[in-house]
Amino acid sequence: MMARIFDRMGVLGCIAIGFIGIVLLAALFAPWIAPFDPTVGSVTQRYLGSSAVHLLGTDQAGRDIFSRLLWGARSSLTGPIIVVVVTAIFGTGIALIAVWWGGLVDAGLSRVLDLLFAFPNLLLAMLAIAVFGPSLTTAALALAIAYIPYTARVIRSQAMRERNLPYIRSPQLQGISGTVITMRHLMPNIAPLIITGATINFGFAMIELAALSFLGLGVQPPEADWGLMISNGQQSLLNGYPAESILAGLCIVITVASLGYVGERLGGRAAAGRKA
Amino acid sequence: MLRIENLSLTIRAQREEIPVLHSVNLTVGRGESVGIVGESGSGKSMTLRSILRIEPDGSTVTGRITFDGTNVLELSGEPLRRLRSHEIAMIAQNPHAVLNPVLAVGRYLVEGMHDAQGMPTRAAKLRAGELLEQVGIDDVDRVLRSYPHQLSGGMLQRVVIAGAIAGNPKLLLADEPTTALDVTTQAEVMAILDDCRRELGMAMLFVTHDLDLAAAVCDRISVMKDGVVVEDGVPDQLRDNPRHPYTRELMASRPASIAWHGSKGATA
Amino acid sequence: MFIVRRLLALVGVLIASSFLVFAAMYAAPGSPENFLVQGRTVSPDVLAAIRQQYSLDDPFLVRYWNWLVNVLQGNFGLSLTNRQDVGELLANRLPTTFMLVAMAAILIVIFGIGLGVIAGLRDGVVDKVIILTSNLGFAIPTFFAALILMSIFSVSLGWFPVFGSGEGFLDRVWHLTLPAVALSLPSAAVVARITRTSIREERGSEHSVMAVARGVRNALVVRRHVIRNSMLPVTTIVGVHIAGLIAGSFVVEYAFTLDGIGTLLVNAVQRKDFAVVQAIAIILVAAFGVMNLLVDLLYAAIDPRVRGVRA
Repeated sequence: MMARIFDRMGVLGCIAIGFIGIVLLAALFAPWIAPFDPTVGSVTQRYLGSSAVHLLGTDQAGRDIFSRLLWGARSSLTGPIIVVVVTAIFGTGIALIAVWWGGLVDAGLSRVLDLLFAFPNLLLAMLAIAVFGPSLTTAALALAIAYIPYTARVIRSQAMRERNLPYIRSPQLQGISGTVITMRHLMPNIAPLIITGATINFGFAMIELAALSFLGLGVQPPEADWGLMISNGQQSLLNGYPAESILAGLCIVITVASLGYVGERLGGRAAAGRKA
Repeated sequence: MLRIENLSLTIRAQREEIPVLHSVNLTVGRGESVGIVGESGSGKSMTLRSILRIEPDGSTVTGRITFDGTNVLELSGEPLRRLRSHEIAMIAQNPHAVLNPVLAVGRYLVEGMHDAQGMPTRAAKLRAGELLEQVGIDDVDRVLRSYPHQLSGGMLQRVVIAGAIAGNPKLLLADEPTTALDVTTQAEVMAILDDCRRELGMAMLFVTHDLDLAAAVCDRISVMKDGVVVEDGVPDQLRDNPRHPYTRELMASRPASIAWHGSKGATA
Repeated sequence: MFIVRRLLALVGVLIASSFLVFAAMYAAPGSPENFLVQGRTVSPDVLAAIRQQYSLDDPFLVRYWNWLVNVLQGNFGLSLTNRQDVGELLANRLPTTFMLVAMAAILIVIFGIGLGVIAGLRDGVVDKVIILTSNLGFAIPTFFAALILMSIFSVSLGWFPVFGSGEGFLDRVWHLTLPAVALSLPSAAVVARITRTSIREERGSEHSVMAVARGVRNALVVRRHVIRNSMLPVTTIVGVHIAGLIAGSFVVEYAFTLDGIGTLLVNAVQRKDFAVVQAIAIILVAAFGVMNLLVDLLYAAIDPRVRGVRA
């Protein structure tokens, strides 16, 4: 099993998987492994360097950076997970409905998708936030809506191809219901596409959600979040205390790069042609 | 004129060495037409390509390919380019892939004559028209202005033939020139190719999977299988007295209705 | 014909999206007049007067129609927070954003395509280094790149200003260089990768190989057959990414506190200034649509096959 993973992923791929694993563990067990409360600091403890007590030092509010990074992994992962799950469910659902009913339904749905395509992702998210107020959930759901057209389009064209293949057609002729055909025959064939799409979406979502938090429109302070930490640390960085921003930024960069690498090895489909 | 001796070729694909040719020997005399017959994957195309040194990147070639006394495998730079532009021309299988899809047909012909052979652009443009007439194209101007996707495979293959004979090369390499074409135009294109070759006195190395076709246009035939020449001889001898079992197999598998030399028919 | 059809489609999308935006703002929880008085206690009469002034009591469709007609006449209404004319506000901000996007676009074309071509044509170390860099570059969020660039080149080295957009053309270029670099980074990385792949494919294409076989000089084959043809898919990707810069610029403008459309939008969203949000959304969707249309037209211009189908 391990050997097979290694064969498929190579050295870099294994390092990438390792890092993703660490981030996942950090997110899951943050409450137990974080030495300090991520939201509470002390004015006497500001800008401390790395020490046995504060592994990575403290920020401008005297909060432990290591603890904040661990807790930050939580919101930094839950956001993209919401995006990816919602996108996969609705993208696939819309695609299959369009393919199954075809005709007017298909045409109508693709008009709606075209309309969504007309909005840059971040703009759509910001409009939603303007209406519903800033929060991680709003930002994540809005981004999911922005991503659905991509997923739906890719899966629709694949499902359209599969639908016309004889193995799908013949049970149809035998009078088996559409749902059964979809579940038993179509799903296994479009599942790889859904998974590759999800890994690509995850990286995009992580960066765009971090950007929204950076703009003050996503995760709200004093909550710990990598994107928010970069923006919190901006002033400190310019004043010569780079730890908070740099560490949080590196967490995002390495996580996204690792996911991208693993996703590419899995599916080979590059994250190309997406509006940023 | 062309002499291939002990030609072996291995291509590398994903760190794996795949042997393609094993000690192939072959000669083509001046003005002679030689066929290589075999199924796909037998290495016949690769033999042609290594003569022009356009085998895939990362291939290792050993042996000798001499053309008029010089070893092609040792050529590089300007002498190799001259060999390609003036001495040997190739006609590949799929004309739609050979012509650059974003350049007009005229540019293809001018490129060969101007950029490769050094003819002045104006002269090359005039000559392009003449060449197209020579390969039986009537509305020359329209064809010259067309883009590859606007023309049929048969029409494009004539353009490729025109480009190949433009420099009056001594040797034509034809790699299944009619296989990718519509059945109805295959015979016509083949006839044009054969006529041009005879008229201009060019030698031809003709690759095909069709033994009958090879027999019709070739003086000698080599039968290839798995990168090895298993048998060679004149068409009549191959038909009447095939020595290698594979040749017999080839003979047996062809449809009797179009058996060569008409009435004699297949013996299998 | 093709252009007319695409323009009509674009107009359709614009009308639909303007309706969507307007409806979303209309349906937003909380009433606008409460926002206008900003928590002060006012008498019902004053509230009614405000509702009257902003025509808040008209039916939804009437309000949409009035708004749309005004927008078409270039009248975007007044900002809810500072009563300024939104059109004027936008006009002051547009040059910065436009210039930032234009500079980033130039960087994407030069570095994205340039490095991609080099990586595609060279084998070995150069290729590997470029691939690795572009893999990483793609994962760097623009605002993080912005901070790093700022701390290195503005704070430590003092080569570039830290904040602001500058006055006059050259000063502006100087102020916008770091933001443009940060903004272009991820897109340049993707473009470099696509270009490399495309160049590799064209290098192995039959028409390139046969051009070599015909004795065409190598440099010419690379220029005419490999690079030229590999630019077809690259054009689309570059176009899509340049259109995407429009949204990406929000974040970078905010990081460098530039006075562009993006900062205006972020502030408007934070303060729920719907008049400004609507106006910017419509303008950005229009710009995005026009960019995408231009890409398609450009593509049709350089690829005769597309031209043929649509002619």
